[in-house]
Amino acid sequence: MYLELRRPAVHKKQSRDIVLFILGGVVLYFLSGVVDELRVYQGATIAVYVIAISSIILLTGYSGQVSLGHGALMAVGAYAAAVAHIELKLPIILCFVIAVLASAVGGALLGAAAARLSGPYLAGTTLALAIGLPSLANQFGVLGGEQGLLFDVGFPPLSLGEEFTQYKWFFWIAGLAALISMWAIKNILGSRYGRTWRAIRGNDVAAQLCGINIARSKILAFTISAGIAGLAGALLSMTIGTVSPSAFPLALSFSLLTGAVLSGITTLAGAMIGAVVLVAIPEIADVVAHRIGSSERVTTNLPGFLVSALLIVTVLFVPNGPVEQHRARKAKHLASQK
Amino acid sequence: MKAMNRRKLITVSAVLAAVSLAVTAVPAQAAEVGVSSSEIKLGMTLPMTGTASLGYNKIPGAAKAYFDYLNANGGINGRKVTLVVKDDRYVPTEAVAKTNELILKDKVMALLAPLGTANNKAVAASVNPARRGIPVLFVNTGFSGFADTKKYPTTYTVLPSYIMEAKIMGQYIKDNFAGKKIGLLYQDDDFGIDALAGFKTAGVNFAVKVPYASGSQSAAAAAGWITKFKAAEADVVILFGVSSATSAMLGVAAQLKYAPQWMLGSVGGDATTIKLTGVPAGVLYNAIGFSPVPATTDMKDEYVKLFSDIYAKAVPGSPFDLNVLLGMNTAFMTAQALKAAGPNPTRKSLMAAIDSKGATFANSALVPAAYSQTNHVGLTGYWVGKYSPTGDLAPVGGTYVTYTTDSGAGAVVKSTYVRPAMPAKGLPN
Amino acid sequence: MDLLNTFLIGITAGTIYALMAISMVLVWRSTRVVNFAQAGMALLSTYFGYEAVTRLESFWIALPVAMIGGALVAALVEMILIRLLVKHSTSGPIAGVAPIIATLGLLGVIRSISAMIWGGQDLRIVGPVSNDGFTINATTLVFSPLKLLILVTVLVLMLILSVIFQKTNIGLALRASAYAPEIARLSGIKVDWVRTLGWALAGATGAVAGMFQTVNGNGTLSPDSIEFSLLLVSGFIAAVIGGLDSLIGAVIGGLVLGLMISFVLMYVSSGLFFIAPFVILLTILFIRPQGVFGAKAARRA
Repeated sequence: MYLELRRPAVHKKQSRDIVLFILGGVVLYFLSGVVDELRVYQGATIAVYVIAISSIILLTGYSGQVSLGHGALMAVGAYAAAVAHIELKLPIILCFVIAVLASAVGGALLGAAAARLSGPYLAGTTLALAIGLPSLANQFGVLGGEQGLLFDVGFPPLSLGEEFTQYKWFFWIAGLAALISMWAIKNILGSRYGRTWRAIRGNDVAAQLCGINIARSKILAFTISAGIAGLAGALLSMTIGTVSPSAFPLALSFSLLTGAVLSGITTLAGAMIGAVVLVAIPEIADVVAHRIGSSERVTTNLPGFLVSALLIVTVLFVPNGPVEQHRARKAKHLASQK
Repeated sequence: MKAMNRRKLITVSAVLAAVSLAVTAVPAQAAEVGVSSSEIKLGMTLPMTGTASLGYNKIPGAAKAYFDYLNANGGINGRKVTLVVKDDRYVPTEAVAKTNELILKDKVMALLAPLGTANNKAVAASVNPARRGIPVLFVNTGFSGFADTKKYPTTYTVLPSYIMEAKIMGQYIKDNFAGKKIGLLYQDDDFGIDALAGFKTAGVNFAVKVPYASGSQSAAAAAGWITKFKAAEADVVILFGVSSATSAMLGVAAQLKYAPQWMLGSVGGDATTIKLTGVPAGVLYNAIGFSPVPATTDMKDEYVKLFSDIYAKAVPGSPFDLNVLLGMNTAFMTAQALKAAGPNPTRKSLMAAIDSKGATFANSALVPAAYSQTNHVGLTGYWVGKYSPTGDLAPVGGTYVTYTTDSGAGAVVKSTYVRPAMPAKGLPN
Repeated sequence: MDLLNTFLIGITAGTIYALMAISMVLVWRSTRVVNFAQAGMALLSTYFGYEAVTRLESFWIALPVAMIGGALVAALVEMILIRLLVKHSTSGPIAGVAPIIATLGLLGVIRSISAMIWGGQDLRIVGPVSNDGFTINATTLVFSPLKLLILVTVLVLMLILSVIFQKTNIGLALRASAYAPEIARLSGIKVDWVRTLGWALAGATGAVAGMFQTVNGNGTLSPDSIEFSLLLVSGFIAAVIGGLDSLIGAVIGGLVLGLMISFVLMYVSSGLFFIAPFVILLTILFIRPQGVFGAKAARRA
């Protein structure tokens, strides 16, 4: 009887989620029609960051493994998509699928190597990966060397009209991908796998006693997280138009981690917040710097300063992210009222 | 709780949509993007900081010095020319982002002298200024591919191409170093590959070729390069890289007392920049160098005299070098193009002006420009010089002997071009 | 000849990485935090050194100035940031990751502030002795008076540090505060101040690494220079290779890393410059996940 009571609730939750995501899609469609080109381009970038940040939330927030190298995994996806497009001449959709698969394989390998590592040792390995992997492209001619490969998804189909700009097309593709990935991740996190990861993160000895195979779960987390990051990487290259090592610097990996912490490293819903902040901060910094009327030096470096400072403040005072903090405070309030 | 979440989402989306509607009230259309009744806005992307920025970060100051001089003397038909500069750190993806900002946020009329082969290619591929009709004037790179008007219909080069330079170098080697072993240091991207193509046309066979990945040039790397050149016993070493690579190479060579016959490409060959990194002038002495514009120490040249005066007043204390001369020269040519574009310049009229009159624009170069209705190629040659005991490039024997060629299979010929006199006060007439 | 040159380049670079690794181990041993901002603090200290060199025209005065500056900055960071960190985020999923992220943020902050004060362009620091190679019998080695000086200085520093740690009361207090802070407190050791001291020592060591890395390269200093990115990564990797708990491990890790990178660059391909550290790191961690000299897994943070 207990099971029967539970099932309809689960279905209602899933259909509610689907409605929410479709609603989100409608909103995005509406937005892209009325906003100017710069915002549309930024919107595409935000969508990419949302996907990338949620991959980190899955890996670090849920399975407790820290990765400083997701930029490298994004690079794997991007290169896979570009090579598939150029060498194998596959249609774009398939290229994105290949991006996910290639980076998932990379993630599995990395996860297997990293399963025995923890804390700073894992951080160090992923740091080295973040720096080393993109430059590997210089070794193989087919990967285009330092200036990279062209990744041209082509012009929007004529059926959408003459006025349909390239950037709007990017926004649609990225936005759709973001919606689909978020829905997929939400379901994965809500599933048995998600619960297993949280168990490991909480207390891995106890988890092992419950019969959970820690290594396999960890590797699975890395694999899925990497696949998602690979999709984000391919989409990022779409917006830039090229895939090159310089598109995936160490700073990107750090930014993703920043975005994840800002959103709340365990809160998937917060990924949007983190992404918007990452894109909005350079703009805000620009405005602030011009308002103060300061020198070239200050204006160039203010965005970096703001992001880093924000990161420190968040980690110190809102370590679980604003959404989680809010929930925790509400729960405490409710508890104290009883 | 669940119903409240859904309501929250709907409310938020509605607010967002309403705000975005309000925000996007379209402003009144200007006559042309970047052109107002008082101002013409141009945009430039180049490395101002970072490994490759050495020397090149003086270009904006130089161009602005000329534009300020121009504005103080009436501007272009009463409009002031302003230059918006963005730092792309020589990274192609940043060049794309900054160019997007210039076009979408700063709304410039045209892109001026964006620097870097890889950067320009990335911008062309993703920002696609050609599709949007945005002129890309006088790109600061010698990559021969940019002369392809089908691929880059709104792009105009100014510097002689790397193929031209390599062919002229090859000819000089044939005339003076026949039978010797030649070594080449080149950047591992389209910049270097262009040079290789030129050397191939010129028939130069290298004993050793050392590529370096852009961004990896440093003293430690240079030690490795030198080992390879030594191993191949190169008599002549051609340095076809950016200034920071050339400086690293010469600096470490001085420490290791390695001294073959140096030949410096024009991209990285500015003596002042190299000496500022601590390379002793003695290392440069007798190295061979190339330039399309007069020597920067040649105060008898009317352009050098005027430009260095203007620059000294605008940026006191900063030495006048090749980057400054080229920057001001490009600004001067731009001013003439803007003037020739008519009393109400548009992007189209600007490009038409260069197509029809560009070859006759006054500029300090000692070789002719080849602009025409079908050709977007600028300067077409170099003079050959040697670095003096103080490490400054000067023509061999004191007189400029210039060579011109093309980016194809055309021969290298001695040029008979006589540079027309500078217009009064160095202002467009 | 090539072999000798490669070895010499590698050893010199390796000693600088070793210094960086030592400072990271010092921080780890005193506060159980991996300080990613260590290279950033080294950068800031080197800027202090630059100011000193430019105003006082002497590298030999500038070096201690940089060290003192580095020590002060590090102590300040420990007192403000780390204590806050320990107080606020000991629970939740972020606990293990929080210090890493906070120090990453600090790295960005220090870098931006340095760029805001000194600008993004290259500044020159002239070394105390020449970097021209020694000439023996008409062949010039890569080894120079400067490189010799670096080797000697690093050795001396390492000796001093190990004497402090092993033979003095302060050193004992440092070690005790790291492994058993409660017991140390009960013995009357002011654990908080001892931790700050550990950071200060690390800051000074990092400053030396920064100064030497700059003059050993092409002498230019800028917030984005290759030299400092190298320092960040290599210092950390060297510390991890050696095992974060061991000072000797840090030294050996640094030397090994420097040598291997040098050999790979010379004999395999210069393009593998960035991937080589990763492969080396992965190989060693695969064989010994706690680093060569590291303590057993039970002592995990």
